[in-house]
Amino acid sequence: MTIEHQSTESGSILHRLNPSLKLAGLIIITTGILIYPSWRFSGLLLFLIILGFMISNVPLDMSKRRIRFLVVFSALLFAFQVLMTANGTILFFIIPKYSSMGPFLPVTDFGVEKGFGMSLRFLLVVFSSMLFVSVTDPTLLAHSFTRFRIPYRYSFALVIALRFLPLFDMENKTVRMAQRSRGISISVRGMSRILRTIRYTFFPLLISALSRVDALSLSMDGRGFGHSRTRTYLRKSSWNALDSAVLVLLSALLLASILLTLGFLPQVSAII
Amino acid sequence: MLEVHDVSFSYDNEKLILDAVNLQVRRGEITVITGPTGSGKSTLALVLAGFIPRTIEGTFTGSLLIDGENAENSPISEIAHKVALVQQDPESQISTLLVSDEVAFGPENYSVMPSEIQKRVNVSLNAVGSLHLANRPTYALSGGEKQRVTIASMLAGEPDFLLLDEPSASLDPKGIQQLQKVLLGFKNSGYGILCIEHRLATILPIADRVLRLSKGKISKWSGKTNSARTTPAEHFRRPDSVEPLLVAKGVSYSYGNISAVRDVALSVYPGEIVALMGNNGSGKSTLINLLAGLLHSTVGITYLDGVPSNEMTAQDVAARVAVVFQNPNHQIFERTVQREQHLVFDILESLGEIPSERPDEVLLAAGLAELKERNPFSLSHGQKRRLNVSSVTVHEPLVYLFDEPFIGQDEIGRNFITQTIRKRGKSGGAAILVTHDSAVATSLCSRIIFMERGSVLLDGPPKIVLSRLNEIGYSEYADLGATS
Repeated sequence: MTIEHQSTESGSILHRLNPSLKLAGLIIITTGILIYPSWRFSGLLLFLIILGFMISNVPLDMSKRRIRFLVVFSALLFAFQVLMTANGTILFFIIPKYSSMGPFLPVTDFGVEKGFGMSLRFLLVVFSSMLFVSVTDPTLLAHSFTRFRIPYRYSFALVIALRFLPLFDMENKTVRMAQRSRGISISVRGMSRILRTIRYTFFPLLISALSRVDALSLSMDGRGFGHSRTRTYLRKSSWNALDSAVLVLLSALLLASILLTLGFLPQVSAII
Repeated sequence: MLEVHDVSFSYDNEKLILDAVNLQVRRGEITVITGPTGSGKSTLALVLAGFIPRTIEGTFTGSLLIDGENAENSPISEIAHKVALVQQDPESQISTLLVSDEVAFGPENYSVMPSEIQKRVNVSLNAVGSLHLANRPTYALSGGEKQRVTIASMLAGEPDFLLLDEPSASLDPKGIQQLQKVLLGFKNSGYGILCIEHRLATILPIADRVLRLSKGKISKWSGKTNSARTTPAEHFRRPDSVEPLLVAKGVSYSYGNISAVRDVALSVYPGEIVALMGNNGSGKSTLINLLAGLLHSTVGITYLDGVPSNEMTAQDVAARVAVVFQNPNHQIFERTVQREQHLVFDILESLGEIPSERPDEVLLAAGLAELKERNPFSLSHGQKRRLNVSSVTVHEPLVYLFDEPFIGQDEIGRNFITQTIRKRGKSGGAAILVTHDSAVATSLCSRIIFMERGSVLLDGPPKIVLSRLNEIGYSEYADLGATS
């Protein structure tokens, strides 16, 4: 999570949607593709999420290392599934028959479908979460939770987590530099080196995080956090006609996923 | 009046941090408390703010009185209504993502009406000269801006007393002057202010009284400062035909679209001690990391002892350079002080002839010899910083690159770090230290490199650079240096 993945602006339609509704949307999309793991369905939803990035002017920069890593990782997931799935009609062999040798590593239609399904689901979960964080104002999200009678102590845990994500990201980079300055190379060769790498990374990060937690809790207590069971809000989330319309669409999506899973929509499931 | 009577406190029921302390903080007055690291200054602030004994465990005796009333049975939220504490690190105290949300946070918790909260947000931000920041994300603020927003967020609760723990620690001279102005304004508005400071020069011009806390006891400050820092730096003469230890050729570096270092060219020769100065965000820390080979420049190249930095392994870097980062926690890796001190010998196999007693000697000089078996993370901030310095310099690499090493250091810590740097210069190495303190630059360094918006603005002997800074609108560097 980088700094630019967080937003407190209210520009696009997605920014203006009710924060709880956006969270519900994230949960519904994730649940939908888990219960109905069709690659076409995942691909359609991924297309809508990428459209969401464009509508809300949130950059999805493929040149960034982290985004590149996600795409490469999803490609690896695809390749792994294709290689590991032997069921289905064989399309071709990766290593064709040569003389009396082979052929080896068959690629089947079922394997390709499974691979697509896995990698698209992975991208969908990650990208939809990134979009949610990018277009959701944590303070307004905390306020919207109060409408569901969720105590503000819990909803603020989320606000604080989002507030500290960029900071921990920066600290992680600093610790990496500090390791290099002491001659410590990240190594995963052998259990003792793995353990040492983990220790040399997590000790400083953990201690730094804990010291910040202490300071933060004093700062919050020192400003009356928890003084009473309710609190007021300078900025409040709102619910309007657009939110209602999106709620209807999301409910329809959830219902469709359930019906598709149960096999009640055979014509539709033949397409997606 | 805010007062403590006969306050004693121990965290572990063994060592007494505060020993029968009596103190009064009056409205319309700025009281400053100074004293060595670990003398209990921050603990006293926690007592005055009511956190001890309410949320922090330990053995406490004594009483806290606010306007004559004993606060023994008051909950922390009630005390916080009257007494606000601004802790050392502003970054850790910010709990929301928007400046106006942060300032509104306190009043919201006390269920103040939104219209009144808005009024308080404006008044508080205005009081610290930061109304223009209201709609800015908190993570995008500079260190000085974060400090002022933190103060504003405390003011919004409309307290009577403001306690500030090392408020100038990470501020550049301009930020310090703004802070002085802000605190004077509060004092004139009737706030009672208590400041904890190591760098007395930053707060002395506006202080009404200065007290010293040492070994748990409070006394009047004698006004004496350590003479080690006032010794002028020896004039540096570069020997002929000597190759530089550090070279930067047209170096630039960007974080995404934000350019941090632009086209920097410099050489540092054996024997040189260089002060790297400039306002917060001018690119000093990034340049240090580039010179150390910890970041690779987007344009240009850096050389460390003749070797291109981007070709060096981690071991090559550690063998040649000692880097001290701003936050001591980021570079402590081992479970005991002794193991931390020996870490470099475990990692670097060919370090040449280093006497076996040297690690212990350096620990002794750092005042950490008795803490060898302690977990380094349990040390005080000042002790951790000294451990950082001793553990990265124990094998005497050629170049020392220290990023604000004096923050939070008392006289002992300052002397240890100063001597370590001086020794490196005298024995044919070189050092660059990032500092905002012109007094350090003139007394310890033979050269100042001053950065502005990622570029080198001035480079030369300290007196000439400071005098030039005075002429081009950076007079605060010379002013604050003069009073140190």
